[in-house]
Amino acid sequence: MTNARTAKTAREKAAQMRADVERKAARKRALVAGILVLVVIALAAGSVIAIRSLQSKATAAPANLVDGGILAGNASSTTTLEIYEDFQCPACQSFENSNGALIDEYAKGGKVKIIYRPVSILDWASTTQYSTRSLNMVAAVVNSTPSAYPALHKALFANQPPENTAGLTDAQLLDLAVQAGAPKDAVEKAMKDLTYKGWTKTVSNDLSKRFPPGATPTVVLNGTKLDNPGPEQLKAAVDKALAG
Amino acid sequence: MTPFLTRWQPWLSTAGRLFLAGVFVLAGWPKLLDPDGTVRSVRAFQILPEAVVPAFGYALPVVELAIAVLLVIGLFTRAAALAFAGMMVMFLVGIAAAWARGLSIDCGCFGNTGATVVDPVPGYVKDILRDLGYLAVALAVAGRPRGVLDADRLLGLAPADPRDADVEHAAS
Repeated sequence: MTNARTAKTAREKAAQMRADVERKAARKRALVAGILVLVVIALAAGSVIAIRSLQSKATAAPANLVDGGILAGNASSTTTLEIYEDFQCPACQSFENSNGALIDEYAKGGKVKIIYRPVSILDWASTTQYSTRSLNMVAAVVNSTPSAYPALHKALFANQPPENTAGLTDAQLLDLAVQAGAPKDAVEKAMKDLTYKGWTKTVSNDLSKRFPPGATPTVVLNGTKLDNPGPEQLKAAVDKALAG
Repeated sequence: MTPFLTRWQPWLSTAGRLFLAGVFVLAGWPKLLDPDGTVRSVRAFQILPEAVVPAFGYALPVVELAIAVLLVIGLFTRAAALAFAGMMVMFLVGIAAAWARGLSIDCGCFGNTGATVVDPVPGYVKDILRDLGYLAVALAVAGRPRGVLDADRLLGLAPADPRDADVEHAAS
C-alpha cells in the first residue's frame, strides 16, 4: 500500500467521523431548539392567560359620574370641555396652574359643561402606585360628594409629589378627602380596599383607546382634542364653540 | 480577525451577550409589572390592529425576559442574539413610523410615560441611535456566539467552530 492511499483512507475516515459528530450535534440542537420554542410559546400564551385572569373583575365605578367623568359647570350645555389628568403628572400640574382659573370661570359661568376625567397612567413614576391610590381616593370622595372635586383636584396638584418618590401617604390623602368634605369612614375603607382600582384601569385604558397615545393632560372640546392649549388658545376655542 | 480579536473573542462575545441580556431585563421587567401600561404603550404606536394589541403587550415582556435568560446562560446564543436583533428592527420600524406620521409619543421602551411630549423628535433620534447601537452588538454576538462558559459549549450544542477547520488543515 502506498502512503498516499493510506493517507487518503485516513482522511476519508476522519471526515466521516466529523460528519457523524456534526450530525449528532445537529440533531441535539434541533431537539433542544424545538423544546425551547415550545417553552417560549407556552410562556407567552400562559402569561396572557394569567394576566387576564388575575385582572380584577371588579370595575365598579363610583356613583355620581356624568358621562363617566366628574361634572362641573352646566350639565345641559351643548359645549363640552373634557379634561383628562393624572395627579402624578407634572404637565397636568402646569396645565392646572396656567388654565385652572379660566376653567373655574367657565364652571361658574354656567354656559360650559366641564367633565373631568382623572386617570392613572403614571404608577411606574411612583414607588407606591401613587396615581392609582390618589385616583382611588378621589373616586371614593366623588362617590359621596362629587361637588368636592374641583377643590380636591386643586389640592392634589398643589401637593403633587415629585416623580419617582413615594408620594403622599394614604393618611395624607385621607386628610385631603376629609378637608374636601367627604365622610372619613367611607373614604378610609375604600382606600384600604382599593375599591375603585379596577375603575382606575378602565378609565385609563379608555383614554388610551380614545386618544392614542393616551397621555396627560388631554383636553377635548366637543369631542375634538385640543393641542396643548395655553389659556389664550383655550379661551379662544371655548368662546368660539359657545358662539357657534 | 486581528490577533487581538481572535484571542479575546470569547470574552468579548460573553460581555456582549451579558450586556444584551441586561438591556432586556431592564426593559422587560418594568413592563411585566405594569401590563396595562405596556398595552397602552403598544397602542400608542398605532401600528397593530386593536384586536392583537393586548396580547402583544402582555407577551412582549415575557419574550424579552426569555431572550435575556438565554443570553445570560449562553444557550442558543446565536439564535437569541438574532431574535434580539429582530426585535430591535421591529422597534426601529415602530419609532420611524411614529416619527414619519407625526405622532407625539415617548418610546415607552423602558417603561411607560404619560407626560405629553412637546417635541418628540429629539426623543425619537435618541431612541433610534440607541437601538441601532444595540442592534450592532446583537449582530456581533450572533456572528461570533462562542463565549466563555456558556451552555451551548457545555451541552455540546455549539455549531462547528470555523477556527477548528484551521486546526484540521494544519494537521493534514
